[in-house]
Amino acid sequence: MKIYTYGVIDSNSGIEDSNKGIEGAHVYNIPYRDISIAVSDLDERSQKKASSGYILKHEEVAERLMESFTVLPMRFFTIFKDKEAILSMMSEYYDSFNENLNRLRGKLEFGLKVIWSGNTIKKRIAENNTGQGQNEFLSNGSQAKNYVMQKLKKYKLDQQFKEEGHKYISIVNRFFSGFAVEEKLNILKSEGLLLTASYLVEKAKQDDFKQAFERLKKSGPNDLKYLFSGPWPPYNFINLTKSEFKKA
Amino acid sequence: MSKKVKTDFPDAFIAEAEKRQEVLPERIDANPQNAEKGLAKLVLTLVELIRKLMEKQAMRRVEGGSLTDEEIEKVGETLMKLENKMKELKGVFELKDEDLNINLGPLGDLM
Repeated sequence: MKIYTYGVIDSNSGIEDSNKGIEGAHVYNIPYRDISIAVSDLDERSQKKASSGYILKHEEVAERLMESFTVLPMRFFTIFKDKEAILSMMSEYYDSFNENLNRLRGKLEFGLKVIWSGNTIKKRIAENNTGQGQNEFLSNGSQAKNYVMQKLKKYKLDQQFKEEGHKYISIVNRFFSGFAVEEKLNILKSEGLLLTASYLVEKAKQDDFKQAFERLKKSGPNDLKYLFSGPWPPYNFINLTKSEFKKA
Repeated sequence: MSKKVKTDFPDAFIAEAEKRQEVLPERIDANPQNAEKGLAKLVLTLVELIRKLMEKQAMRRVEGGSLTDEEIEKVGETLMKLENKMKELKGVFELKDEDLNINLGPLGDLM
């Protein structure tokens, strides 16, 4: 029997959770000092590949825990071979778990994805650039030099494209940053996906944060497409380091 | 849980997510039949990363105007040869440009 883990919580007393976890198993917690980790048993034989149903279940359990505790959600499908392995992991990361629990207490995560028409914007930049300083290399350049100039043109286009992206992002981000304690921005993961952002927000400010999104939709740039999600457990704001080895 | 996700453009976001899944396999696909290709993909991905970084650095210097004509000539020749060699190797192992990337999990994509 292996053990499936959902998240570390800031309490070591037994959790009462009548709802079931992955594969319908009972969710309980394994205490370590003053904290604990929520888990359920997983039959080794029934272990299949991670499925979307499992993801929803994992998230559901983490969210239920979030109602009563501060939760550091485990990454989806983190499985340990036995209780001993879990306790050893808990001891290794205890200090870091505590730091994170204190930092994330009373806070939630929201997500924002923004799609822009990167294609059109790239074309527009290219059109604006046409005719600017090209002749100097086409007429008298060697093959190698022309190659460099072509690459340079592409490089400049990419730079301008990124600058344009940053302009949009700073406008979008202005709507939210006043309400978030921390933010993580992932910019231009692909040509079309302008922004993937995670915001850490105090529970008390979550309504303000949601309203900020409504304002963005109304008065932000109208050529952007938004996907707003949350509140989630703070998946993207956990910074873990192993506890230092104690000297004998 | 669906009420936790708000968008007026679900199709656009689904398409974007699917595009990424197609490009990035979760793992390097290596088995006895294609071990050579799997390894080539990994090695060429790293070579391509280094080549792109070199190219970027060169462009920065060209743009900054710190290279003489002769140096630009040399840079161009080197970059051209590198790119051609990469094309040749990709051809040998039947790899496409989009094959040369790795999803580094929480760190994002390599390139």
